[in-house]
Amino acid sequence: MSAYYYFFKMRILTTLAYRFEVFTAVASNAVMLLATVFLWKAAYRGIGSVQEVSQHQMIVYAILSVVMGAVLSVNVQDDMYYRVREGHIATDFIKPVQLLGMFLAEDLGTTVSALVNRAVPLILLASILFTPPLPVSLTAFLLFVPSLMLSFLLLWLMGAIVGMISFWVLELGNLGIVKDAIVRILSGSLIPIWFFPDWMGTVSAYLPFQYMYQTPLSIYIGKITHSQAGTALAIQAAWIAVLAFIAYAVWQRAKRVTLIQGG
Amino acid sequence: MVTAIRYHVSVAYFFAKLAVQRQLEYPLFLVSWFLMIPLQYISGVWVLKLMVEQFQALAGWTFPQLAFLYGLGLLSHGLSVIFFIQTWHIDNMVIRGDFDRMLLRPMNVFFQFVVNYVNFIGIIDLIPGFLIFFYGCAQVGFEWTLVNVLKLAAVVIGGMFIRASICTIMGSAAFWTKRSGSLISLTLATMERTTMYPLSVYPKVIQLALTFILPIGFISFYPATDFIGQEDGFTLPVGLAIWTPIVGIVTFAVSHFIFQSGLKRYESAGS
Repeated sequence: MSAYYYFFKMRILTTLAYRFEVFTAVASNAVMLLATVFLWKAAYRGIGSVQEVSQHQMIVYAILSVVMGAVLSVNVQDDMYYRVREGHIATDFIKPVQLLGMFLAEDLGTTVSALVNRAVPLILLASILFTPPLPVSLTAFLLFVPSLMLSFLLLWLMGAIVGMISFWVLELGNLGIVKDAIVRILSGSLIPIWFFPDWMGTVSAYLPFQYMYQTPLSIYIGKITHSQAGTALAIQAAWIAVLAFIAYAVWQRAKRVTLIQGG
Repeated sequence: MVTAIRYHVSVAYFFAKLAVQRQLEYPLFLVSWFLMIPLQYISGVWVLKLMVEQFQALAGWTFPQLAFLYGLGLLSHGLSVIFFIQTWHIDNMVIRGDFDRMLLRPMNVFFQFVVNYVNFIGIIDLIPGFLIFFYGCAQVGFEWTLVNVLKLAAVVIGGMFIRASICTIMGSAAFWTKRSGSLISLTLATMERTTMYPLSVYPKVIQLALTFILPIGFISFYPATDFIGQEDGFTLPVGLAIWTPIVGIVTFAVSHFIFQSGLKRYESAGS
């Protein structure tokens, strides 16, 4: 366990080392924040509420969505791709740790440091410029926290599965970007699914994506009731089980493929 | 004078030929971009459509008008990706010492830098741009008169120069700091967000900044208001669309100046 804690800690320290990078990354997120919130404000101009969501709720949703995007950083697919391509993966397998555990510990490290150096400045900025993004109630917040953690796991597993493809193709190209684009649209991070046409909403309910962003955000702004939130948490957990199973199965095969390639 | 121009053109042509040949080496890579880029832009415009359906209009803009604006912005974006993608990577060139070679050649370094690469793959960025733009044109009833076509060409090329200049200016920071990668991503993110929606979505302060400090408004917003006849934001004399190529030339001159002063600080890095 201490080995994983070490990876976790190291990642926090390295992400904090590059101050200028942190500053510009936050600035990029701030641009997204401003653009999204002003867009929603323009859309809501002269309109009370749409789909039972008020302008205030939508703005909180948009702010939190940008913050989530900044915090839940999943590098596993790029890390895996890089280590396979550069051949580091061979020595990684010799290390006395579970590789997936190492990747997870590192991504948790990035996320924890992002909570401090990204979420805090973004929430401050949003509070000054627009409105403090407060949850609709304390219960909602208490339900939001576990849902957010489940979201992280979902995003991470998805990234890990895509990253494992590099064991076969070696050149991942922009598969990662394709995945990110799909997640951005179907997760509700850009625009909530309730604005989609009905049939797409139905399809989306059976896909894992909307449980990555929309579920925790809807709980936070009170778009769904507490009992619905309970169901949503259960669905998140179920999807984690499914994706974890797929990831495990693919990983077992991936290991074998690497061995065949040899030195 | 004529021989000098002919010489520069032939050098540019050979650089372009080499660059295209290099990229055709990896056809599979090309295909994957071919899937990716259109997906991104079509979904972007589709989100706008969803919003307009729910909210009637966006800051007074209907969906066809938004598509026209978005498409117009994508056209100059596509061109800048084809001809000026190297302006995104000045920091790499500084760190790898790529300017050494250019400094040794008896030719203006900025010119070499500009023509040094043609990103053939960028054509894929243009395709969704054309699709969205022509859709917007048909819907808003854009008149294809000779004057309009000439104006359009001037706007798209001017927009390309504005984009390239802003990236060159930001990227030139690498001459001093050695890194500007994240600064470039910030710039690109800002340009994407501010050219795809009407500028009038933003408060006056931001509109002013994007007009006079970082003239992003001239890439697509002001010319689009001119073409569509939307009364929005500022009114300048002699038609807003005409300003785009003028601003393009001015910013390009500024970026040339900043690049040159950066180059004086250049110390060929590495071994």
